[in-house]
Amino acid sequence: MQLFNSGFFWFFEGILFCLAIIGLKVWAEDRSIPMPFWKWIAFAVWMVLFGFTVAFIGTSLGENEVNAAVKGGILFGIIVAISGVGLWRLIKIGIGNGEEGTQTGPEERPA
Amino acid sequence: MKRGPRPALKNGLLRYLFVIAVLSAALLYGSSRSGPDLMPHIREIFPLAASFEQSDGIYSAFSDQNDLLGWAAAGRASGFGGHMLVVVGIDTTGEVAGAKVVEHRETPLFFRVVRSSEFFGAIRGRSFEKVNYEYSDIVGVTGATRSSEAIVAGVRNAITRVSGPKFGVHMPAPERPFEFGILEVVVLLLFTVAVAAARLPDSLREVLRWASQVTGLLVIGFWKNSPITIAKITSLMSGYFPDIQSNLSLYLLIAGFMLTVLVLGRSIYCTHICPFGAAQQIINLIGGKNIKLPIWAARLMIMARNVIVFTAVVAAFITVQPALTSYEPFATLFALRGTVLQWLLLLVVMVTSLFIHRPWCNFLCPVRTCERVLQDIRRRSTGLREASDGVCE
Repeated sequence: MQLFNSGFFWFFEGILFCLAIIGLKVWAEDRSIPMPFWKWIAFAVWMVLFGFTVAFIGTSLGENEVNAAVKGGILFGIIVAISGVGLWRLIKIGIGNGEEGTQTGPEERPA
Repeated sequence: MKRGPRPALKNGLLRYLFVIAVLSAALLYGSSRSGPDLMPHIREIFPLAASFEQSDGIYSAFSDQNDLLGWAAAGRASGFGGHMLVVVGIDTTGEVAGAKVVEHRETPLFFRVVRSSEFFGAIRGRSFEKVNYEYSDIVGVTGATRSSEAIVAGVRNAITRVSGPKFGVHMPAPERPFEFGILEVVVLLLFTVAVAAARLPDSLREVLRWASQVTGLLVIGFWKNSPITIAKITSLMSGYFPDIQSNLSLYLLIAGFMLTVLVLGRSIYCTHICPFGAAQQIINLIGGKNIKLPIWAARLMIMARNVIVFTAVVAAFITVQPALTSYEPFATLFALRGTVLQWLLLLVVMVTSLFIHRPWCNFLCPVRTCERVLQDIRRRSTGLREASDGVCE
């Protein structure tokens, strides 16, 4: 349990979180998927929900509450899975619509 | 010369005869089992008693000096899943010596909540009159209202049996009010709207169907947790009819379900009212996919569903415990109560609903099996054939 209380763990956690956000940004730009602010907000909310689910399972197991970990994990897991699919469909909105003006990334310059 | 198929086999009559024979045998076996032994429970209530005498259903407890310690009697009441038997002991001063539930057919997870409530401890040492008229604290234990009401009714019935002959106090049974509340109004309204909407244009009908489903999800599901379950169906099939005053919504749902299938040929309950069906439908809308299973796979799963339902009903009849065979994860979703298996089942059904249209309804729901049986009865009696292939629209 020392690892989870250490600064290194949270430093590593922050790097992973940034990588996930940058990864999404690059992935969306590669596929010309517009990413307006509301999609980023939805993604951030989902990430918090996902993190909460993992934390719930982890802390429950840490306190030897296996029953709570299983039931809570399933309940929040269902919510994360359903909202994840919903988020995926939301993020894909606007593909091929040419909504360059709503992109948050730098506009591509013509060669 | 080409011989045609034997009519009985072709029509599946032999299959029905087999099912009826097995169910009848299971029902007979279950009903022939002897009732519970009250003595161990009465001994627990009167631990100092050395001997007991029984007369007219009242047990008198005596000490080793042959002094009368008190009386005990059993009271019967209608619970959620069937009859409940409660034993109550009253000492010679008229104070309640103890109470115990001897037999019940409630859902174990819900009954555990009631049993762990303060009621049994609170009535010990109180006068029986006070308990009969004032103690109803147990009523309304969250999520287990019917079970808690049954315990109180059982205790009161047991007290009444002793109070008259032994104390000369005749207590009239408290009147049970006829419950006609929001749930009953909603059920009636949903059936009426669904039937009336059949003549409306498709777009308006679709809007009404969604409105009905969301209402059913919120009221019958999350608020009241009262969908039709296999436990309720098997309870009725085994001859247990709970009192209509407290269970009007159940009768309305079952009657509406059966009538619409027999008259219209399809279940309005499944498509417009069932809260679990609505939950799947909403999740499927989020998923946006409708993967069609191959016909052979769908048929195999429907066959598996029928076998599961048949096995559950036979088990319910043999054990006389309909609630034990209720495998649906309805309460798991709507009341967050269930076994680990039900939680896992809920996870599988909810995630699968993202990609497959109503997987529970099509491949696991016992109500769907009942619908198919009723549709078959309708087809045989009217000669009409349904377009449905056994998969929910």
